[in-house]
Amino acid sequence: MVTVPESQTVPVTLPGVNVDAVAERGRPLPARELREVVFDVQGLGVSYSGNMALQDVSLEVYRNFVTAFIGPSGCGKSTFIRCFNHMNALIPGARIHGRILYHEQDLYGTDVDPVEVRKRIGMVFQKPNPFPKSIYDNVAFGPRVLGMTDGLDERVERALHQAALWDEVKDRLKASALGLSGGQQQRLCIARCLAVEPEVILMDEPASALDPIATTRIEDLMHELKRDYTIIVVTHNMQQAARVADMTAFFSVTRGGEGQRTGILIEYDATDKIFTQPSDKRTEDYVTGRFG
Amino acid sequence: MRIGLQEDLDTLQATLLDEGELCIRSLRGVMQAVRERDPELADEVIAFDDEVDSRYMAVAQEVESLLARQTPVASDLRFVLAAIHINLALERVADLCVTIAKLTKLVYEVSPDVKLIEAFEEMASRGEEMLRVSLDSFVKRDLAGAESLVDLDELIDRANRRVVQHLMALGGNPSLREWGLRMIVVSRCLERIGDHAVDIGEQTAYLVTGEFREFTDASHPD
Repeated sequence: MVTVPESQTVPVTLPGVNVDAVAERGRPLPARELREVVFDVQGLGVSYSGNMALQDVSLEVYRNFVTAFIGPSGCGKSTFIRCFNHMNALIPGARIHGRILYHEQDLYGTDVDPVEVRKRIGMVFQKPNPFPKSIYDNVAFGPRVLGMTDGLDERVERALHQAALWDEVKDRLKASALGLSGGQQQRLCIARCLAVEPEVILMDEPASALDPIATTRIEDLMHELKRDYTIIVVTHNMQQAARVADMTAFFSVTRGGEGQRTGILIEYDATDKIFTQPSDKRTEDYVTGRFG
Repeated sequence: MRIGLQEDLDTLQATLLDEGELCIRSLRGVMQAVRERDPELADEVIAFDDEVDSRYMAVAQEVESLLARQTPVASDLRFVLAAIHINLALERVADLCVTIAKLTKLVYEVSPDVKLIEAFEEMASRGEEMLRVSLDSFVKRDLAGAESLVDLDELIDRANRRVVQHLMALGGNPSLREWGLRMIVVSRCLERIGDHAVDIGEQTAYLVTGEFREFTDASHPD
């Protein structure tokens, strides 16, 4: 029998290939016990004026992961993501059932300040929504409100760098944000979110209003940002979830006796698993496009 | 329901089955050429390989288009990946028939040994059965059917060993030496057809279970 000593194995290097980046993308997810749990969702439900929009969701969101929520319209995925930073509290008649633990602390405990929550857990929406102010003032807005004004210029520059926008706007920081393209505006909104140094970024359909090139830039950005942040993204675009997410949760809809629609979590697993060998037939039917 | 995707998957499967039928026709034709020592029929089998090749190219193009335009996932993706392997296995089966045809042409003047021809007939009919079982199990997503190919393959392998022993016994006869060497290769080709059918079965098992495994491991037989 022939054995090749370890020392004889030579690493293959390919010219022009960023070996580190490839290795990082190809790296398997850390084992469950090595993951740090940021959110522990336990039996979460949301009702609007007594109608259950989402029911009995339990899952964990891990630090420095991109976690995607996918599912057909009305499955409650946007309702769910809005629970993570108290956005549902802004809707009259909304009630939260169950618990979300954020670093083991109940996010809906009586002593929790929603403003502090939203500082730590930022959000980017479907439609870019810059303020009608200058590019600089948009990014500086959050820090100013929160009194984080020391080194504000550096803070703004850092956020714009992180959002991969700096090179495009550095010469026109005082120009109106509304003059930027849609993709640039969305990255500005990401920069505005990053400027207050959150731990988590929630993204609700962040690229659905953007063209394919701007979408690619947002997806690349998510890859970059997950080194420093934990990202949760709701997307209608399944291939986007397949490209960017480490973990994917698939939600679907059940209909009650009177036809009311309630979102339920069907399957939550590594994205690779969801898109190659989903455990549940309903997930398979959805990702292959046979349903929904 | 993605109608376009389903139509493309159905077309891919139909083209593969068509390729499989052509392979079986090729196998039958070449066995007839062996049995009847017919060099003209052997030439026809060789020319017929172009038909198989055209299906092979069609499958390759359908796969490329399907991947580019439909981005299949989950079982659809496994189906397409399996189709790539099955396409290659079938094309090789046809190539093996061409090899047998060429060997037949080289020795058609030698009077054949009846026992040997009978053994080849048995191997070829088992090979045909295995190709049918492998393609049927693929279409029906039938794991048990795919796994049954291992036992069928063992029968071809045994027949191959008997042929080799029989030819070794003829070793002392110089006039049959070249013929015997050619016939060992024919036997080997028929045995390889069985192996390709097993490969197709392994792809069916992958399609059904989502995990690839070899039914038997030649380098670790136990």
